[in-house]
Amino acid sequence: MKDDGMKREVLLKAVLAGAFLGLVLWGGLPLFRHRHSDVPIIKGPGVTAVLRLSDFSPGLKGTEGDTYVFVLQGKEPGGKALIIGNTHSNEPEGMLTALVFIENAVVDKGTVYIIPFFNNSGSRNTRPGDGYPLYFDVPTDWGSRRFRYGNRDASPLDQWPDPDVYIHYPDRQLLSFIDVRNTNRTWPGRPNGPLMERVTFGAMELMRRDKIDVAVDIHGAETMFPVTNCIVAPERSVKIATLASLTVKAREGFENHVEPSPAGFRGLSHREIGDHSATLPFLLEAPIPFLDQPTGPKTTKFLLDGKDPFLLSLSKKKKLFVPYDESGWSLEKRVGQNLSVTLEIFRQFSKKTANRPIVLRGVPRYADVVKNGVGRYLGDPAKAAAGGVVMN
Amino acid sequence: MIMIAYYVITAFVLVLAGWNFVREKKSRDDLALYLLVMIPLLLRLLRVK
Repeated sequence: MKDDGMKREVLLKAVLAGAFLGLVLWGGLPLFRHRHSDVPIIKGPGVTAVLRLSDFSPGLKGTEGDTYVFVLQGKEPGGKALIIGNTHSNEPEGMLTALVFIENAVVDKGTVYIIPFFNNSGSRNTRPGDGYPLYFDVPTDWGSRRFRYGNRDASPLDQWPDPDVYIHYPDRQLLSFIDVRNTNRTWPGRPNGPLMERVTFGAMELMRRDKIDVAVDIHGAETMFPVTNCIVAPERSVKIATLASLTVKAREGFENHVEPSPAGFRGLSHREIGDHSATLPFLLEAPIPFLDQPTGPKTTKFLLDGKDPFLLSLSKKKKLFVPYDESGWSLEKRVGQNLSVTLEIFRQFSKKTANRPIVLRGVPRYADVVKNGVGRYLGDPAKAAAGGVVMN
Repeated sequence: MIMIAYYVITAFVLVLAGWNFVREKKSRDDLALYLLVMIPLLLRLLRVK
């Protein structure tokens, strides 16, 4: 009798332990694959060098905080610009805008540096509690390009534990604990700080050492968030931002107003870059309905087309900060306006600073991307020249 | 250094939960709960989530 009882207990525990391992594998394997999958980036005709952010912040070497910096140097000297995508990896219009630049732009005057996966760790993280998809596919003329869909913050696998309160460096402002993993709260960073501070420090060092004139940090923001569909600029950048905003409205027909960068809110790129270097910072926000809370399921279709019946209903009640109708806010509109506004910022800077022009060609503008789709401007990695693809 | 300490703590709690699972003789509910508690700890130790 006692042996039977023992056998039953062992059998029960074995079954439960098997179910436990099954759950771990079922839930864990997709996350493991997502974290370790790489995205191909084609080196376009204008790419002259590929650097690592750890070249500027050695504390990143060998960590998931390290990331690629693409350099597009023109034949003629001129000004220097930095484009940052994926500061928040759940706002993919920034990363895709950066990729369209990398794969298409040819710089004639000056140099453009591009970091497409600024928070590389965040791009390998996800938010299952919010039903985030792990990947999304952008349709192209030849098939589709698959990308990781990441999270706003870096993975706790790379930076853990979080403090109770994040004390910003160097201002000592108290920020939310989660912001210690948010690369738009850890500017200007420090060489030996938490990993995300080392990431922002790397970008600051790049800007200081290479004398970058203009930095454009590309984001997406909820339609219910007041700081959306805009260019955020500190005092020093506001003139160029205003001219860029007015020009795209007059010439290309879309709104993108200017928001002042608040001086008392620390850690943000549009504040700290200007305060700790000679670079003029700009932060672009395109409306991304997927990030709003009162929506339907968070599907990849919704991520791409930005159409949601709940937001449409809220729009009719005037609860959104952007115009919203049945056409939604598609990825094409978001990437298109980021491209046009970035190009316009470069043009306005070049007009204002004639001895340091930034002149480039080959980059589509808003109307082109809305008409043809983002995929038209993304190449086929399988057809790229040998050594012409960087896996990130 | 702090991260390493937290991994050690995680491993310690995982061993405790595992040991309680092995020692538990009566309650099936407790057995299931021990395993559920172990899932996030194991996923972190395996550097999955």
